[in-house]
Amino acid sequence: MKQEISSLMDGELFEDEAEGLLDRIKHDSSSLMDWEMYHLIGDVLRQPEHIHCDLSARVRKRMQDEPVILAPRGRAVKQKVRAFALSAAASLLAVGMVVWMSLQISPEAAPQIAMQQTANRPVNLQIQSNSNEYLMAHQEFSPSTEMNGGASYIHTVSYGTDEK
Amino acid sequence: MKLHLAFCETLLFGLLLVSANAFASEERSSLDWLRQVVYATHQTDYTGVFVYQHDNRVETSRITHVVEPDSEYEKLESLDGPKREIIRHHGQIWCYINQQMEQVDSRQGRNRFPSLLPEQISALSSNYRIKEGGSERVAEHTTKVILFQPKDNLRYAHKIWVHPDSGLLLKAAVLGDKNKLVEQYAFTQVQIGGNIDRSWIHTIASNANAASGVQQSVSEDSVSLDGAISHTPPEKSKGGAYVGSGWMVNALPQGFKKTLEIQRHMRGKHAPVTQLVFSDGLSAISVFIEPADGDEDDTEGLVSRGAMNLYHKVVEKNLYTVVGEVPPHTVMQVLDSVRLSGK
Repeated sequence: MKQEISSLMDGELFEDEAEGLLDRIKHDSSSLMDWEMYHLIGDVLRQPEHIHCDLSARVRKRMQDEPVILAPRGRAVKQKVRAFALSAAASLLAVGMVVWMSLQISPEAAPQIAMQQTANRPVNLQIQSNSNEYLMAHQEFSPSTEMNGGASYIHTVSYGTDEK
Repeated sequence: MKLHLAFCETLLFGLLLVSANAFASEERSSLDWLRQVVYATHQTDYTGVFVYQHDNRVETSRITHVVEPDSEYEKLESLDGPKREIIRHHGQIWCYINQQMEQVDSRQGRNRFPSLLPEQISALSSNYRIKEGGSERVAEHTTKVILFQPKDNLRYAHKIWVHPDSGLLLKAAVLGDKNKLVEQYAFTQVQIGGNIDRSWIHTIASNANAASGVQQSVSEDSVSLDGAISHTPPEKSKGGAYVGSGWMVNALPQGFKKTLEIQRHMRGKHAPVTQLVFSDGLSAISVFIEPADGDEDDTEGLVSRGAMNLYHKVVEKNLYTVVGEVPPHTVMQVLDSVRLSGK
């Protein structure tokens, strides 16, 4: 039997012989041990620095300890599809944001907004031209003049003055 | 055990007291800073370039302030846009617009009115939460940052950057709702003390004397005058007189106290205008009342320029104008509450 196992490992058996032998090894624990032992000897001879003892038994034991996940296959696939769809949507959104932001930053957009603001404000042009007198009269008594000095008079000579 | 508890209580109370003291002292020192700022603005020679930022606009100006034995001289020049200049001296204000000098306002013959009274500074802490915000560098100087956060939404927040050695404001920002910047001044370069050009003072001084000379010669009849000062009413009436006009404002934001009530002449106005000024220590609200002369000018409207808001409205044959460094809704609220006492 040991001779046969050795021959099998060396690849000296015919296919039908090998199948019969493997079938027997599966059902005979001592033969199985021999089979594993031969493999171990072979491994040690080929890679002496990686000596391992009964690794397969330990792997098997760990496999038995692992919980068995009973999940339908289809759902995992669906989740993957959904994740992909979401990330695709996110990247589309990102592209959209960039486009939108570049539109916001575009030089034409800013004056438009500014114009809208001035349009919304109930500014009367006559008042605007007249308001400097009041601003000036107010300024001299305002604490802001005390703190900022003449700088606060900028209100009265600001560009607004020329928008008559 | 009881003793232990008592000890704990004492300790806690002590801690509270200490922290309260620390808080009070911080406020007090901030107010001291403010007093120093007010003093420095008038007593320091300085010149510098500053940037004024408001309503999506940026303007650059140069300011020069010198103290002479007689009084302060101050010049504000625009460095971009059309050339504009404002000169202040001894309560007089001169404007150079379109290469022409115009005297636009004068307080001659009237004592300089301190618009930031010491008691107003002390009252600031009841209207604003005052916080010191560490130090920041402005125009090559290390400054002390102080934030005045209003306790209601009827006024703006003010943030100032004070130069500790001189007490000058090197930067000042007005913040609105959600700390949105309403306007901001910031020096980009400043010279404090030292050798500052004073050659322009003499030209102003001679102009001022010439103007007052003309006025003296024609006494109070300025009708026949031509040129730049033809619109200038006589000095005497322009200064304004303190009055008790009987006008009242019912819906002022809390903490605003009346600092002034005068009757004055204003350019382009035939009838005298009553001006009431209210201040909370950092911002002021002026209420102007004049008879409505039925001009097309006298229409209702709101004008904003940086932190300054102006609201205009005719009520019962009177034109009311409210101006202040307060949000638009505040000037509108104030205007709608103007009443003549007894009505």
